[in-house]
Amino acid sequence: MCSGQCSMRFIVFMAANPISDAAQPRIAKGVRLQVDSATGKTVLLFPEGIVELNETAQEILSRCDGRTLSEIVSDLAEEYDADPATLVADVRETLADLQQRKLIELT
Amino acid sequence: MPATKTHVNVPRPYALLAEVTYRCPLHCPYCSNPVAVGSAVLSGEHVAQPSPAPNALSRLRIATARQGRAAHATANDGELTTDEWKRVIREAAALGVLQIGFSGGEPLARRDLTELVRAARDANLYTNLITSGIGLDDDRVRDLRDAGLDSVQLSFQSDQPDLSDEIAGARAHRRKLDVASKIRAAEIPLSLNFVIHRRNIDRLPQMIELAETLGAERVELANVQFYGWAFLNRAALLPTYEQVARAREIATAAKARLAGSMEIFYVLPDYYESRPKPCLNGWGQRYLTVNPIGDVLPCPTASSAIPDLHFENVRARNLDWIWRESESFTRFRGTEWMPEPCRSCPQREIDFGGCRCQAALLTGNAANTDPVCEFSPNRASVDAVLRDVSSSSDHARKWTYRVNPKLLAYL
Repeated sequence: MCSGQCSMRFIVFMAANPISDAAQPRIAKGVRLQVDSATGKTVLLFPEGIVELNETAQEILSRCDGRTLSEIVSDLAEEYDADPATLVADVRETLADLQQRKLIELT
Repeated sequence: MPATKTHVNVPRPYALLAEVTYRCPLHCPYCSNPVAVGSAVLSGEHVAQPSPAPNALSRLRIATARQGRAAHATANDGELTTDEWKRVIREAAALGVLQIGFSGGEPLARRDLTELVRAARDANLYTNLITSGIGLDDDRVRDLRDAGLDSVQLSFQSDQPDLSDEIAGARAHRRKLDVASKIRAAEIPLSLNFVIHRRNIDRLPQMIELAETLGAERVELANVQFYGWAFLNRAALLPTYEQVARAREIATAAKARLAGSMEIFYVLPDYYESRPKPCLNGWGQRYLTVNPIGDVLPCPTASSAIPDLHFENVRARNLDWIWRESESFTRFRGTEWMPEPCRSCPQREIDFGGCRCQAALLTGNAANTDPVCEFSPNRASVDAVLRDVSSSSDHARKWTYRVNPKLLAYL
């Protein structure tokens, strides 16, 4: 019924404010995290969109259950024996990207 | 083209558009449904088109004349049954599909919609309902939610009741407002879909405001694309350059202002672009559509825009074969089919030559470069349409309302 479905790639993402250490990211309402049985990879499903997650994003999103950004960073640092100071930028960037697409919400 | 081909690198589809019915209580003049839906078209009995194609209107007259000879179809004549749709859903999931959009027509016109949504969830699909909202009462909202519906895309024609009802050709706006609140109350994620055209484009700020007021997570502002009824009504619907330029500024600013709170999805008016849209992300790459009678289409508008292409039906073939092997899906898959200037263009894997339906509608040959492209030898045909927009008076811009197939059958 809508006449715009064929043009789904015309999206421009805008920069938003940086995410604070105390923010609690959660998967947004209407977004589903699921394993794609065709590839075994984890995907996010949302209205007219699918994002295939890389390993980093998958590790971050699996921890978006009420933990704060700094808790997520320290969990990941421990799990992968990495430096939290270098990890935090990656996590922040990934979450900011997901937030701008409304795939996560911050509380 | 060889009679048999091996398809070693056939991609898997991600999304199925399930057009469960062409019946609709609204009569929007921009509907992308086929203008002629009668038994002649439904049975795949296509009339050969003169080549090169005559202008848009004479093509549509052919379709209407053909319709006039059609048998008297009942409202849901030939629609797939519940069990057939369930099979289609299972076959789509097995093929790799992750998302299904229930659309139409008005999908709520099918009494078995809840059952189909449940079948889609059972197959682990993300389920979207793309609807006018008419027919969505408290019971149905609850049933759909309980069946696992993931998201509703509710159409609005504008922010103003009178203008909206005039565009829809039905008293619908106030009912839609009520439906939006029912969806919110049921806590189903809500998108508002607006099709943008000459008559409502100046209301863009108010339409965005309506989406905010109604608590939508997402708003789709889709400039009308010219297929189906919209192609028939192009002169009445095409906005001016000034309108388009203003709308773009408004959408961009709103996107920045609402980032992170409401997603704004702006679909460009492609006639005003110099490069074509990457239609469907390539033919037969990610999407498939099954129409009400079971024809499987690479794109919902292909059946009417490309009459010389034969489409397979789910009653005769399984979806896997149709996706991988059928002529309709393989004809424009990849880049081998491309003529110049696409064939040697560095953009060929970015925009895929644009839209096959648009090439067919505007040049008479679906294999041509989308004439929106500045490198197309047919770009002048688009420019002529744009020139015409600024020269003729509003008085001459009456549109034809969409009518339901059962009415068309008696023309």
